[in-house]
Amino acid sequence: MLVATGLTKSYGDVQALRGADLDVTSGQIVALLGKNGAGKTTMISIIAGLLKADSGTVMLDGFDAQRDLDRASKLIGIAPQLTGIYGVLTVRENLEFFANLAGVPRSQRVAEAVSVAERLGLTELLDRGAGKLSGGEQRRLHTGCALVHQPKLLMLDEPTVGADVATRAQLIDFVRESAEAGSAVIYTTHYLNEVEALDADIVIIDDGQVLARGTRDELVEQHRMQGVEFAMVEDLPPEVVERLGATTTDASTYRIADDIPVGELVGKLGPLSDQLLSVETIRPDLESVFLAVTGDRLTGAEEGST
Amino acid sequence: MDAARALIGVQLRIIRRDPWFLVIMFGMPLVVMPLFVKTMKLSLQAEGFADATGAEQVVPGQVVLFGFMVSGSVAFSVFREHGWNTWDRLRASAASPAALLAGFGVPWVLIHVFYQVVLMVVGGMFVGLRLRGSVIAEFLVIVAYSVCLIALVLLFTATFRTINQVQAVVNLGAMLFGGLGGALVPLEQLPGWARAVAPITPSYWAMEGHRAVFLEPGGLADVAKPVGILFGAALVLAAVAVKKFRVDETKEFFA
Repeated sequence: MLVATGLTKSYGDVQALRGADLDVTSGQIVALLGKNGAGKTTMISIIAGLLKADSGTVMLDGFDAQRDLDRASKLIGIAPQLTGIYGVLTVRENLEFFANLAGVPRSQRVAEAVSVAERLGLTELLDRGAGKLSGGEQRRLHTGCALVHQPKLLMLDEPTVGADVATRAQLIDFVRESAEAGSAVIYTTHYLNEVEALDADIVIIDDGQVLARGTRDELVEQHRMQGVEFAMVEDLPPEVVERLGATTTDASTYRIADDIPVGELVGKLGPLSDQLLSVETIRPDLESVFLAVTGDRLTGAEEGST
Repeated sequence: MDAARALIGVQLRIIRRDPWFLVIMFGMPLVVMPLFVKTMKLSLQAEGFADATGAEQVVPGQVVLFGFMVSGSVAFSVFREHGWNTWDRLRASAASPAALLAGFGVPWVLIHVFYQVVLMVVGGMFVGLRLRGSVIAEFLVIVAYSVCLIALVLLFTATFRTINQVQAVVNLGAMLFGGLGGALVPLEQLPGWARAVAPITPSYWAMEGHRAVFLEPGGLADVAKPVGILFGAALVLAAVAVKKFRVDETKEFFA
């Protein structure tokens, strides 16, 4: 369905994508996992034709999507990161407008709007002003507007940001249903539990590069990590680092490959344990995979997206 | 042009849902018109139009002046899409810059024409505006002025990055062009230098057309020049706007 190869993109001095590749087949869900600023949004914006890549190709169903934007737009549905709906229009009018914009014939628009509303739990709200919906309902409508023309490739950019628990669950179910119905789905997120719930193929992206790809189990198998990571007030003397068998990961932060209890670590640090700031256990899960692949944790990502 | 058609429909619907700006813009000239009729009657009679009522200057003048301000709404509509985060969704439809500008411009041309027609009719009913020439010629002047102004504001939209910049230019343009173009007072009362530069303004050509049918029994031939110039300018302005318009540029709506 989609084969994107060697995508590069710079914003001035900032290189947002450095030769990133991505492919998705029909019925497949690919989760783009990365911190804010990793290049996720840039990548899907290029695929959707919203941004021009500096280099690289985007082949969609066998044709060059960057050269035939009109044809590509009929196959792609994108829900950008920020909720974009018309508050002064009703839910139905929003859905019908975006269907119209995508070239859905008038005779089918009404039915499509009703169908999408039903799938997203918005049937009762069809004639309510979109501006009067709750944040979660707006988020669902925002997503619905991306697929009212039944795209073959659905791209959702952090669809659950700011959504409540019920909306998150609903959106996850909806994405799975879309894939089961044959759509290829690209789902960007930095929520690991969503990636696991989607049972998606995971693409880890960092600093504009795709660093790893596979199912959760494959990635855990390939990049499993466990042990303890701890932070000190000041740097430990080199001989202590050596005695602990630790490696330095960041300023005054160390990692021990063995999964030792906190008490044992305190004992090994001796008097220096007074300077112990925090201890975290690393388990062989997706979080540790991300840590192993990128050298950083997914949580604590800075604001802003590229 | 599917995207343009879809956009025209939705823009008209959005404007219908929130018509208050237009309501105010209808009200303002209606308040101003009666205040100046007597003065303008004397002025037009001094010019040699013995049976002028004054409405022949005041009504078209106010329509031309406030019409400029109304045309600024087309920029507001485009910038508002950025504020509503719907701009990228529109772009994802792969609509060309021309289709997008048409989608925003056409509804405002229609509204702008309607605005002028209604004010002229009301001017006829309440301040004594009489049409001496061809109604078709007058309608052509109205349409040509609307198309020219919307094209001009679309060029502003393509040029400026923030809505505040566009609004400042539109407000300045309304007063400057209105004053120079003879919308506030007849051109004959302006200093020589102002009369010399007046033809660079759309207001001047619109007033020329209006005077031909309200003060004299002008027909299509009498408005051909002003109408032709307004349409010609519109064509050039729209072409430059399409050329300059960068759909991927982030516009700043009110923060």
